[in-house]
Amino acid sequence: MTGRWISRLLGLHSWAVYVFFYAPIAVLVFLSFNDNRLVTVWTGASLRWYREMLENDQVLSAIRNSLIVAGVSTIVSVVLGTAAALGLERFRWRGRRIFDGLLYLPIIIPDVTMAVMMLLFFVQVFGLVELAFGPKIGLGLATISLSHVAFNISFVAVVVRARLAGLDPALEEAAADLYADRRQAFLHVTLPLIMPGVLGGALLALTLSLDDVVITSFVSGPGSTTLPVYVFGLVKRGVTPLINAVSTVMLVASMLLVFVSLIFQRGDGKVPQGTRQ
Amino acid sequence: MVLSGVTKRFGDVTAVDGMNLEIRDGEFFSLLGPSGCGKTTTLRMIAGFEYPTEGSVRIQGREMGLEPPNRRPVNTVFQSYALFPHMTVAENVGFGLKMRGVGRSEIAERVARALDQVQLAHRSDARPSQLSGGQQQRVALARALVNEPAVLLLDEPLGALDLKLRQAMQVELKELQERVGITFVYVTHDQEEALTMSDRIGVMNEGRLLQVGEPEAIYERPTSRFVADFIGHINLVTAECAGSGMVRIGDGAEVAVPGVQGAGGKVTIALRPERLHLTAPDADIPAGANRLRGVVRRRVYHGDGFTYEVAVAGTVLEVRTENTPGLVRYEAGSDICVYWDPSAANLVED
Ligand SMILES: Nc1ncnc2c1ncn2[C@@H]1O[C@H](COP(=O)(O)OP(=O)(O)OP(=O)(O)O)[C@@H](O)[C@H]1O
Ligand SMILES: [Mg+2]
Repeated sequence: MTGRWISRLLGLHSWAVYVFFYAPIAVLVFLSFNDNRLVTVWTGASLRWYREMLENDQVLSAIRNSLIVAGVSTIVSVVLGTAAALGLERFRWRGRRIFDGLLYLPIIIPDVTMAVMMLLFFVQVFGLVELAFGPKIGLGLATISLSHVAFNISFVAVVVRARLAGLDPALEEAAADLYADRRQAFLHVTLPLIMPGVLGGALLALTLSLDDVVITSFVSGPGSTTLPVYVFGLVKRGVTPLINAVSTVMLVASMLLVFVSLIFQRGDGKVPQGTRQ
Repeated sequence: MVLSGVTKRFGDVTAVDGMNLEIRDGEFFSLLGPSGCGKTTTLRMIAGFEYPTEGSVRIQGREMGLEPPNRRPVNTVFQSYALFPHMTVAENVGFGLKMRGVGRSEIAERVARALDQVQLAHRSDARPSQLSGGQQQRVALARALVNEPAVLLLDEPLGALDLKLRQAMQVELKELQERVGITFVYVTHDQEEALTMSDRIGVMNEGRLLQVGEPEAIYERPTSRFVADFIGHINLVTAECAGSGMVRIGDGAEVAVPGVQGAGGKVTIALRPERLHLTAPDADIPAGANRLRGVVRRRVYHGDGFTYEVAVAGTVLEVRTENTPGLVRYEAGSDICVYWDPSAANLVED
């Protein structure tokens, strides 16, 4: 008797958890199709807010900024993060241990601290540049991208490194033994084998960059608002269904990214062997 | 290929210690030694994955110095095979040729020939993970041989295979080596493998090369206690020199050992158990043979033979007899005579 009750309770519990997770999403998506100006008053279904979103220059510019920042910071951090992972995993050099610890700092540091750090850094550097050379530089897409690169490198490096650590070093030696120089060995053997890690790192970087509010809002300047920062600003002025529409678009985009990354992870399993012994 | 004075230190570990070795063209040379004696390190210095702390490596008369692996005329068969998992068998085998800029059609032709040589032509489109251990081993072999290196380095290539496959591959490898005529440097810790396959063997211990010679010389005439003990079973008897050609063992019995000089010095003599013979205490023995009286302590049955432990002259000797028809067996406790030809004994250094 009690056994049946327990399993029923457990079943109920998991339902409750799922409702707790997904009800807000369902509400958000549902209300984004509401025709009324007031979010909570349902008058009828329409695509009004999506149309309004596409006609709103601020929204469009925020989307554009987000894509630029995400694209630039992902590309740069994937290159630098992969290089860092290779340096830490494959070579022995003075100070490697210290660097190893420091690399993961951006993952641990709270966003707000990182944001203040970056802002102070930019202000100081720009001040010095102005003093020395004259030109006045302000905050903008470049500073946002740089900040995103700063935290994304760590995430990319962690993911790529995990992949590298599982790679038999004898494979790279075999390549060298078979007349490949360093560049060829990297291009033909190392890179293809760590590719799932590199792509996974890239998707992680893309997602983190598209999501970031705290750091971005500290280091953005006039006209360089990204989508999440813009939504955050809208909320402060009261929730309109426009936010719902924008949020739904971001949600769908995120889900697409996750979906793609899952496909890559599946592909990951197709590269067997190459394990350390 | 010549190694002269090659030493490799990792921190305060000396992995290889002052190694001098000359390997002849086209020979099957085995490096034999216990785990951790520096075999792999030696091979890695020849391949160029490590550089000697001291000494030099010359291949085909060319000083290797700090040449990277891709510029050395050697190829390696790795113990783990190290096949590229993202390439097909044919792509694996063709990799070296591709890196050297050989044309597509020639690559295809040579890869096909190499795969034919190892009987894997039908699996050229498979991925390494789809092959059995023995097949992977052969791909690794083809991948190295297709480049026609001056020297092929093999690091315990059969270590991961089961006994049956291992024995089959030993024969196959040896035949292949004779056919292609490439110098093989073969690392193993399996003495039987080294004895059956090699033209010459180098025995290593603790980073030092102790003895180099043909399998028979290594087995029959070991020069050091370690080599004698490491390969096969052997009786090592401490003795005192008693004038030219004679030594005194244990309780004072004198036996003839060729090559002994002077008197009073301590020597160690090595006697293979199968070179010792047993007979009844008063039976006739061949003229000139050494004889010692003793008592059988133990008899062990091996199927193809017996091993006796015999107490003689204050020591214990192991005697091996073949299981031939009509063999006389001796029971534990029976009186017995051990005899051997003086030439069967061998002086070894401690
Ligand atoms: N990269 C390294 N760093 C430090 N010590 C090393 C390194 N490579 C080898 N050694 C040491 O050098 C010695 C010889 O090692 P090596 O791998 O050459 O032995 P081996 O004869 O191949 O043994 P096995 O039969 O177990 O493979 C060992 O004591 C080992 O610990
Ligand atoms: Mg080894």
